[in-house]
Amino acid sequence: MAANAVADQRIVENLASRLRRRQVVGSRASALETLLVIRQVVAKSRFSNFEQLVDIIRAVGRKLVEAQPKEHSVGNTVRKILHHLREEYNNATREVVPPLAGSFSIAKFVLQGQPRKQHTLVKAENKLHLKGDDPNDPDSFAKTLKPVLMEAIQDAFDELETVYDNVAKNARDHIHSDEIILTIGASRTVETFLKTASHYRKYTVIVAETAPSFGGRDLAASLSSAGISTFLLPDSSIYALMSRVNKVILGAHAILANGGMFATSGSMLVASAARVHSTPVVVCAGQYKLTPLWNLYHEYSQLDFGDPAKVLGFEEGDLVEKVDVVNPYYDYVPPDLIDAYLTNDGDHPPSSIYRLLKEMYDDEDTKL
Amino acid sequence: MAPKADKEKLINDEDDVLQAVILADSFNKRFKPLTTNKPRCLLKVANAPLLDWTLESLALAGVQEIFVVCRSHSDLIKEAIAESRWSRPGSGIRIVPIMLARESFSPGDAMRDIYTRGLVTSDFVLVMGDLVSNIRIDEVVKEHKERRKTNKDAIMTMVVKESGGRHRTKSKGDSAVFVLNSETSECLHYEPVTGYPATKNVSIPREILAEHAELDIRNDLIDCSIDICSVEVPSLFQDNFDYLDLRRDFVRGVLTSDLLMKNIYCYIAKEGYAARVKDTRSYESVSKDILSRWTFPLVPDNNYPGSTSYEHIRGNKYIAKDSSVTLGRTSKVGNNTLIGPSTNISEDVHITSSVIGQDCIIGAGSVIVDSYLFDGVVVGPECVIEKSIIGERVVIKDSCHIPRGCLVGDDVVVGPEAQLEPFDRLSKRRGEDDDDEEDSDVEELEASQPTSIARLGDESNAVLWPKTPPDDEGEDEDDVENFRNLRFMRIGDTCSDLEESEDESDSEAEEDSSDEEGSVPSGALSNVLDDSSAMNLANADARAEGEFQREVHASLERAFAEGHSVDNAAVELKTLRMASNVSLSRVREAVVASIVEKIRIVDDPAGQMKEIASVIGRWGGLIDQIGGVDAVESLSALQMHCASSERMPLFGKILGTFYNEDIVDEDDIQKWHLLPASRGVGMAAGPEADNVKKCWAIGKAMLASLAAQDSEDESGEEDDEEED
Repeated sequence: MAANAVADQRIVENLASRLRRRQVVGSRASALETLLVIRQVVAKSRFSNFEQLVDIIRAVGRKLVEAQPKEHSVGNTVRKILHHLREEYNNATREVVPPLAGSFSIAKFVLQGQPRKQHTLVKAENKLHLKGDDPNDPDSFAKTLKPVLMEAIQDAFDELETVYDNVAKNARDHIHSDEIILTIGASRTVETFLKTASHYRKYTVIVAETAPSFGGRDLAASLSSAGISTFLLPDSSIYALMSRVNKVILGAHAILANGGMFATSGSMLVASAARVHSTPVVVCAGQYKLTPLWNLYHEYSQLDFGDPAKVLGFEEGDLVEKVDVVNPYYDYVPPDLIDAYLTNDGDHPPSSIYRLLKEMYDDEDTKL
Repeated sequence: MAPKADKEKLINDEDDVLQAVILADSFNKRFKPLTTNKPRCLLKVANAPLLDWTLESLALAGVQEIFVVCRSHSDLIKEAIAESRWSRPGSGIRIVPIMLARESFSPGDAMRDIYTRGLVTSDFVLVMGDLVSNIRIDEVVKEHKERRKTNKDAIMTMVVKESGGRHRTKSKGDSAVFVLNSETSECLHYEPVTGYPATKNVSIPREILAEHAELDIRNDLIDCSIDICSVEVPSLFQDNFDYLDLRRDFVRGVLTSDLLMKNIYCYIAKEGYAARVKDTRSYESVSKDILSRWTFPLVPDNNYPGSTSYEHIRGNKYIAKDSSVTLGRTSKVGNNTLIGPSTNISEDVHITSSVIGQDCIIGAGSVIVDSYLFDGVVVGPECVIEKSIIGERVVIKDSCHIPRGCLVGDDVVVGPEAQLEPFDRLSKRRGEDDDDEEDSDVEELEASQPTSIARLGDESNAVLWPKTPPDDEGEDEDDVENFRNLRFMRIGDTCSDLEESEDESDSEAEEDSSDEEGSVPSGALSNVLDDSSAMNLANADARAEGEFQREVHASLERAFAEGHSVDNAAVELKTLRMASNVSLSRVREAVVASIVEKIRIVDDPAGQMKEIASVIGRWGGLIDQIGGVDAVESLSALQMHCASSERMPLFGKILGTFYNEDIVDEDDIQKWHLLPASRGVGMAAGPEADNVKKCWAIGKAMLASLAAQDSEDESGEEDDEEED
């Protein structure tokens, strides 16, 4: 099949093996690399109708997701692009469909499927004359459509580029003066968020060390150099200090459809402690982390277990033999421990994440 | 952006391609009988061929061209490479299998072959075909190249991994002591360590201790056998035909050579994992390390080099993802276990810390602990398998017991009710029809054994391999491959008996450790030398020295006869000293003796005088050139030699000539004269002691005359001694 041949291309293979070997890590980096690869694939590939194009992109996506199923932003990016492409294609071809009778109703939710934003009215002069499967000129379809597609990909690209700033743009509404904020891990999104807030407010941040990766140390150093009053806290003291904390701000690795999330290990500890003290827990994340999967938290391996070397030194010969060490990268934090998600597309409670997902991705792409 | 740049790089700097050489052959028989029908590098570790782990380890480091050097079963390796995912387009790696001649028996031969074929064009990575690693080798290569820019003589960087004194992955039978420069981590000295005979002492050349203010002497390093080599390394092998092993011969050879002046560095990997599957014991430990994720990201559920994908379940259990595995309702799968696809596990089976291959069937009620079952193994009900490796398609019938350390070769049938003994090795008896070329060992075995052995069960088709070492051939105990040392490399062997009996064991091992040098008992090795072995040591020393004296004599004879320059003769002596590892004073004695013997005895006194002067004038310089000047010692050597030689009457004259030739000065004679040993104190009475005393008297006379001269006349003293 042509789509599979495309998926075997060198650039795809290259990214797949780098993802597999963990040479590309981090959700944003993976999302960006995925976008670049898809842009190249679309630019190069030949297709004579829309279905072929979708097949090609899905094949590439499947390959990348198989290579690293734990980096959800890869699959999300592919789904997002497919959604964008369909939208553009529909805009370009379809007659203006009158909005479905009646407005969106939760009662008809399942029947209606996609609650698409139907308000995009297409202007007549913008309409392209698309004719698929033209035997005389098989490339004509691709030629006409490609600029539109590129634009769609560029949109996704821009969104990723500006994601930190967009998440942080409302920072001052969430952090008030003289508040004490607690965070854990080394999330770039959280870092930008806190720094932006510091332009308007004077507040204090407590950063947990986040063993065994100790990303918290880097974050604390960075915040402190930006002039924010910062404390570095051993993980063991999180509960003890929680009573003094006004708000917990976390980063996320992936946000699941049920409103829960995977986040750096230790997040569960923080969220549980916050629950006991009724401290609000707020998660900062880009929308590319929204993952249309429901039951992932049942899968033990989704926590992504790294090597034990950071917990137990390899040189401890006697212990290595007798002790099994598990070193998960992530914690699953259930939705009931989270109060709100701050994304680059507004703030949402965990209970409405499913709705967001329906809007962002097409149902048929949930399984690539 | 990034992928594009990569691609351009591929096209542009073609000469910057990172090359690697995999020595895929083991050059030993530690895995027999598992390796009867296939090479070691195709044995499966955690259900993926070892070679694939090695290739992935290299791919991780960005190697672009790999030469796989294979010897036995090379056609199988070739096939495996062609079928692997590395040969698919888009993998970005070029793999070239290289066939070695069957008569190459060591890594050294392989290196010479690499040289003659001219395969490598720049710095390359040399690994063994049994490596499992996630170390960023490309960073080591970078460091190596950086160093090469300033120091052209840094020909090699060895990657070693810190492991602590005791570690399951560090082999007891075959490790090493590294002496490193603390600052530059240059490897200054390398001393192999064996488990049997137990290495108790390591001798470090005095020069190293003298030249370096700070040294690291370490025995806690796992030698990963990842070497970043410069192009000249294969050519060094070509020049030295006696280099067999990469470490024992090559590294030691380069480090001890006075002529090569090359440096070898170590890279101590703090992060990452690297280990070799070089024997059955390390097979077990590497398998366990993989299952407990030390090799991350190279683990069964992520970046797995094999073809199946595995699901990771709590407790480091891995089960094939395609849901083809059938687990009995009451079966128990313990921690650190891997179960291959299409495997059927019946009721009440207990499996812990084991690897089960593809298409295996485990009968009800069986217990499998710490064992490794290859593909297609059928285990009957009520069997017990402990700490063993079971080959492909083996059938183990009902109620068998396979205790620790057993190796069962491919296609063997055992049982029913077989009761193997620990460390049994079985292979399939070959039928009459298929008598194609095979190991001669197997044939011999079959001839020597009755057709059925009771403990293997009635329906068995197996032959039992001998357990004791073949006594007929006088086994070289110093060899790493000696039977007792190999026990340290066996799966399941605690070797407790060997460690206990260490003291009474003969001390051939200590042969090379001489007391005169900077000899350091390395704490991690074992307890300090006790008295009995110290005595043995002396005996061994005496033997080694006698041999050395003869060698020195022979080489000087040659020098005298062929008229070498003093410098060349000195270099030759130095090499000899390094090779036989004796102290400097022994060399001095030997040289003095040879020179004295060189003097012909002439009747006429004037002629004799001339003869002495010419010999000492020509060769006297050698005494000071063998490394370090110690005139007093030279004098003692001269005295002792003359005392036992027929050249006794010449002692006075030789002493005079030494003085004239500036080999010794008055102070030295004075000091020598004051030594109690020079007076013959502590010597058994006899002609020799008398001679010693006579020599002492002559020296005394000479001192007296020198003193007289000094006080009387400052000049013109020459004639005075000539009459002496």
